[in-house]
Amino acid sequence: MAGRRAAMKAIDWVVFAERVPPNQKAMFNSLKTRSDSIAAKLASLPEKPAPIDWSYYRSVVAKAGMVDEFEKKFAALMVPEPVDTQTTKIDSQEQEANKTAAAYLEASKARIAECEKALEKFRNMIPFDQMTIEDLNNTFPETKLDKAKHPYWPHKPIADL
Amino acid sequence: MLSRLVLVSGHTLKNSGSFGACMVQASRTFHQSSQSLAPVPPLPEKGGKVRHGIFPEELFTLLYPKTGVTGPYMLGTGLLLYMLSKEIYVINHETFAAASIGAVVIYGIKKFGPSVAAFADKINEDKVAKAQEVKDQAMASLAQGIEDEKKEQWRVEGRHMLFDAKRNNVAMLLETNYRERLHMVTNEVKKRLDYQVELQNLHRRMEQEHMVNWVEQSVVKSITPQQEKESIAKCIADLKVLAKNTQARATLNLRIFSKVLKITVKNVWGKPGFPVKRLLA
Repeated sequence: MAGRRAAMKAIDWVVFAERVPPNQKAMFNSLKTRSDSIAAKLASLPEKPAPIDWSYYRSVVAKAGMVDEFEKKFAALMVPEPVDTQTTKIDSQEQEANKTAAAYLEASKARIAECEKALEKFRNMIPFDQMTIEDLNNTFPETKLDKAKHPYWPHKPIADL
Repeated sequence: MLSRLVLVSGHTLKNSGSFGACMVQASRTFHQSSQSLAPVPPLPEKGGKVRHGIFPEELFTLLYPKTGVTGPYMLGTGLLLYMLSKEIYVINHETFAAASIGAVVIYGIKKFGPSVAAFADKINEDKVAKAQEVKDQAMASLAQGIEDEKKEQWRVEGRHMLFDAKRNNVAMLLETNYRERLHMVTNEVKKRLDYQVELQNLHRRMEQEHMVNWVEQSVVKSITPQQEKESIAKCIADLKVLAKNTQARATLNLRIFSKVLKITVKNVWGKPGFPVKRLLA
């Protein structure tokens, strides 16, 4: 019993709530309510049941030896502890989550690298008032006028002016 | 102002190359020396300085060491007089037309020049400002994106808490189940013992009741008819004595009550302060 009790970790729900992304808040709330109800149920049960007053029963019950027999059997009785079937499942879930988290981190780092690269390009750009049209077309390829498609000035559809 | 326009148009002409189909060859024939890939120096803001709108400042600085400040003016005056006197330039009606047109043009430029220049500059400024704004927004959104990604990474780090909570729940459920089992065992044993106790109590109560009933029945049976008649006669005699006593006591009470009433009426009725109205109401 004591060994099982030590396996429970104290969970800081406030810190946990901070780490939950906003689109999963509903799931977090349901988890919290379930956990709280389970904890309340556990707290409502006393740890040991009230002991049976054997001397009273011995004095009252007339049948000889019945109380003694009950007492002996009761003391010898071992209540089996319930078997834990879920912890292995939870552990395997945790392993999977670790793997997906690692993959997500990789993708996230790739995205950050891309953002950094674009940011560098913007930082190293020459200021606009020193640019020529050629420099502008090199930096922002979408500004290049397509002289093959629209050979006559203004080289873009009139609606785009 | 004019020089600014000239410079801009010259630049665009250079960029657009030549006209029509012979574009490629024409631009290549213009490049005589080997090309250098150094970046183009930025264009100057203003054109070259001029005096009186036409004459470049370099002429004045060129002539200053030899002839001082008035040198170029003397040169100009001399040239003008030479052309007039030798009739290289002939004065005719076109001169007056040129003079009037020149006056109007100069007046127009002097009056509206700066505002037109400011307008053109503003258009340019707006274009640059728009591009700058686009660039700033793009940089800000990229920085924000990086921040958000970092935050998401931080969030992911907390995933072990979820599994801790799950394991805790499982442990709590197991503990609850175990305690319930213990309680159930104790309660069952207690119930059985209590049943035995109750059974014994029931036995004893039933024996008592049975005994009492049996004693009653035997007593009733033992009463003979002779004893019954005697007890009934005695009861009637007792009742008669009791009735006489009650009647005597009742008449005595009535006499005492009437005497008390007469005394009260004599003493109290008609005296001042007697609440007649309240009594009668």
